[in-house]
Amino acid sequence: MKILSKLRASIALAAVLILSAVMFVDINDAQAEYGDVVINNYSDGAGMRPVVFPHWFHRVRFRCKVCHADLGFKFQAGGNEINMVKIIDGQFCGACHNGDIAWSVENCNLCHSGKPNTPTQVHESTVQKLAQPSGAPKK
Amino acid sequence: MKISNRITAIVAGLCLALPVFAQQSGKDVYTKVCSTCHATGLAGSPRLGNGGDWAPRAAKGVASLYQSALNGTPKGMPAKGGHMTLPDAEVKAAVDYMLASVKDAVKAAKPEVEPKKEEPKKAEVKKEEPKKEEPRKAEAKPAPAPAPVAASASSSVVATEASAADINSFNRLLKPASKRNLPPPEDGIHDPSNDGTHALQPPLTAFSSLPKSMSGNRVNWVEAIGQKKINPRYDRNDPKAEPIVMDMNIVREVKGSMPDVVYPHKQHTEWLDCSNCHPAIFVPQKGANAISMAAILLGEKCGVCHGKVAFPVSECRNCHSKKKDIAKAPAPATAAK
Repeated sequence: MKILSKLRASIALAAVLILSAVMFVDINDAQAEYGDVVINNYSDGAGMRPVVFPHWFHRVRFRCKVCHADLGFKFQAGGNEINMVKIIDGQFCGACHNGDIAWSVENCNLCHSGKPNTPTQVHESTVQKLAQPSGAPKK
Repeated sequence: MKISNRITAIVAGLCLALPVFAQQSGKDVYTKVCSTCHATGLAGSPRLGNGGDWAPRAAKGVASLYQSALNGTPKGMPAKGGHMTLPDAEVKAAVDYMLASVKDAVKAAKPEVEPKKEEPKKAEVKKEEPKKEEPRKAEAKPAPAPAPVAASASSSVVATEASAADINSFNRLLKPASKRNLPPPEDGIHDPSNDGTHALQPPLTAFSSLPKSMSGNRVNWVEAIGQKKINPRYDRNDPKAEPIVMDMNIVREVKGSMPDVVYPHKQHTEWLDCSNCHPAIFVPQKGANAISMAAILLGEKCGVCHGKVAFPVSECRNCHSKKKDIAKAPAPATAAK
């Protein structure tokens, strides 16, 4: 029954998405939160959904300095070459997502929650939002 | 799954041939009126897409829901959402739209929803009747139960109306207020078919108590800390660690008529460590940093954060805040000689 309802939900969603595509509304102009980072360095290749990092959620709880100075996250989407081994060894996300400060790595789908094939990006960044002539390649 | 999606694509394509109705769609009404409360669950209202909120209400039957929407309830639902000029049919359409968003959770109410949805469709699209039969048959293969077919078909109709309205919207390149800060399953980059997506916090629930701004994610984060609405940790392990705040303004004189830039170390060091910016992004020496708006727009210098997570360049006056002393400007002086 659950599978059926999921199927139903996905059909409805697909209908809406495809409709918007047909009506020339660009699907890539998605609507996620300002500052959300999609990280898809290795996910697609490994058959996982890309990671969506919600900046807003984390900045409510931590100052920028905690991740960008203490933990060494560079200011560049996809520029940190994070992988699961580093995380379980306590680097990057794993410094907090260790079951102690925040929930642990077994909750794969909470991070790996992006639509498959979504490119690495800072969502809604100014560069992304510059109005472009239709047909121009998306940045 | 993929096959069924493709079939839905065909269905969706065919549905486009349907005539556009003069009546506002349920989605339009929801966006303009209902979303004020039903997006965030204000005053205990059932939220769009939240099955748990809707299931007990839907269990009483869709007719009862229509009654509540049209006449109001003692719990706080105003009659017609306070918009008494709305035709009954549009209010009902909005109820249908919100029900469609939670159709998984309210299966029990489905048999009652179904006939009501069928009636208007048949009446309005008589000419297209033969075309409509095809996709239904096709769709019956992946999802043999009758309820899902009706549900997904009707949501396509709703989407058709909305898209047609979007084409001639007021500013088609600007995201309307109703599409900001959507919950993860609707936000466009999260995969709604992933169970984890539905466990994530919708941003609006977090933002409602924070000071507002005009851009970015519409939260004034500096004020949020200033007013102590949030107290993000300065050390990941120590909740009591205090930031090392440096209160020093740097004034940068700029070309043209734009007011000079005042860069406040204070607000930046509330969030950041010196090493975040110095020396890699900014050389800590007066006059050593060439900064241009073009560079910022492309994500360099201030643009490393501003335009990505910090407020974007559209908020000119946040930085360009020091008025130039016009009397001392060189142009009038030379003219006098």
